[in-house]
Amino acid sequence: MTIKGAALRVAVAAGLSGPRRSSHRSSIRVPYWLLSPSLIPLTLIVFVPMAFALYISLTGLNQNSIGDWTHAPFVGLKHYVDGLDPRGPLAPSFYGSIKASVVFSVATTLFTLPIGVGAALLLNGQLRGRTFLRAVMLLPYIIPTFVNGILWRLVFMTSTGIADQILAALHLGSRDTFWLIGPRSLWALIVADVWASWPFIYLMALAALQTIPADVYDAARIDGATPPRIFRRITLPLIAPTLGLGIALSTINHFNNFALPYVMFGPTPPDEVNVLPLNIYVNSFITFNLGLGAAMSVVALVIMLTPAVIYLRAARIGDTD
Amino acid sequence: MAIAARTRLRAVRPRGWWRYGVALAYVTFVLAPFLYMAVVALQSDSGAGSGDLLPTHPQFDNFARIWQTVDLGLYLRNSLIVATSTGAISSLLALGAAYVIARFRFPLRNVFRISLLATQTVPGIMLLLPLFVIYIIIQHSIQVRIVGTYWGLVLTYMTFALPFAIWLLSVYVKSLPVELEEQAIVDGANRFQVIRHVTLPLAIPGIVVTFVFSFLLAWNDILFASVLTSPETKTLGPGLQYYVSESFSIPYWNLLMAASLVVAVPAMILFLVVQRYIVAGLAAGSLKG
Repeated sequence: MTIKGAALRVAVAAGLSGPRRSSHRSSIRVPYWLLSPSLIPLTLIVFVPMAFALYISLTGLNQNSIGDWTHAPFVGLKHYVDGLDPRGPLAPSFYGSIKASVVFSVATTLFTLPIGVGAALLLNGQLRGRTFLRAVMLLPYIIPTFVNGILWRLVFMTSTGIADQILAALHLGSRDTFWLIGPRSLWALIVADVWASWPFIYLMALAALQTIPADVYDAARIDGATPPRIFRRITLPLIAPTLGLGIALSTINHFNNFALPYVMFGPTPPDEVNVLPLNIYVNSFITFNLGLGAAMSVVALVIMLTPAVIYLRAARIGDTD
Repeated sequence: MAIAARTRLRAVRPRGWWRYGVALAYVTFVLAPFLYMAVVALQSDSGAGSGDLLPTHPQFDNFARIWQTVDLGLYLRNSLIVATSTGAISSLLALGAAYVIARFRFPLRNVFRISLLATQTVPGIMLLLPLFVIYIIIQHSIQVRIVGTYWGLVLTYMTFALPFAIWLLSVYVKSLPVELEEQAIVDGANRFQVIRHVTLPLAIPGIVVTFVFSFLLAWNDILFASVLTSPETKTLGPGLQYYVSESFSIPYWNLLMAASLVVAVPAMILFLVVQRYIVAGLAAGSLKG
């Protein structure tokens, strides 16, 4: 009960209704000392390494110069020009990776969305064993990514994997269907990531649903609204802000997922799943062209700012308070 | 009267049976891969990966062998230490920063907030090398060991845990009534006492969420752990990888799956205990964003 009360308070305080509360007291001295324990490590472990990565991307750092990295030759924007030049030798691999990453992250997010929201709607209502079910839904989330990768590699192994066995038993496909090489590898990767990551959308959606007071539904029902109409006109608009954050964060997380494709396909994956983090890893730590790898990371970062900016604009963060 | 009648009406109306059908579909979807893990875990060394769905001689002693073949107990302990520390330290440090963001206006406040979200978009792989080099430089200059220690790993996971925790908790703290804090200040409490005795207890649901997320971040990682751990501080990620590494002639799928099922138990217990708080805390963190 108190939890629900807190959630309701949040809904009000968040400005869903009523005048904005004045919680800023600029006349009082700002306790910066409370910020410093967070700011110092953040500077040390995020901002400095990012600046450093930016610098590396402008140098010809490789396995020969790594020991004396301060003297790695400065090459300016060479790596960016090389990587992004549509007619350059790196273009097929680099643009292929960008496309693979975008397709993979968008597709995975699109699949997890209805699964997660559906489970949240189901478990927001009255249901016997709801507490137990809510915990069960989170189980895929606690499997380490590495184990998840191995698990699905076993599932999708040609002819001995359970996927091919089921396909053959149902006469839907050949027992020798290849999932881990060739174009179907994208589907294997999507299935593996959807299964492991949909609970995140579920959590966000369930959290949002809990903030909707029950009398809103009662009122709509008295007015004769049908369930699909209630969902479209009431539920969806009210959970949209939270879901928006969930969608933005999960798109970013899928895009940046290195461990899963690496475990499933290794350092030389099929083109369809040669996602950007894998490409960066190979360039940085296998061929040791660290400057190029860093430049690709910066491009990845810029691409991933897109969903973040869309979310920030939609949520109007930073406009007022 | 009318309300009571409506409530009763709703109570006697049979709940849609289809809900249970959908629930069953979800449970199957979630548990089927776990079942498959259990099947593989019970196979013999040579049978694992052969595709036999019903092992003729289930090898229950696989669950005993996992503790002897690799130092699973040590990895589990290390993972618990690192993940718990990451969760606790990030949440507590974040609470201070979140409090300042929620209650005060200061220069660059919005820049700071937006940069917190921006850090979530940084590819982990982009930070791996710079972090490693920076740690080595610090080690050389002030003679403190970072690489291969628990706290080096915790510090690294805070890269991603801290921004998320500050973001979520700042919105949560903002939702708490400011009057209680004012009352405490009138009563003579200083800023630290206010946070310790007023804000902290009220923000517990939010703190639990940031704890769980930071915990899982550290628990699931393999990228940083494989570079920044030593044999004594090796965590589950790189530890389990040993079963399928080149060190053996064949990959031990069965032992890997058995070990994965066993080590999932502590995390599962944690989820069961705190799941009620997770939902409430998340709601606060995202509504205003």
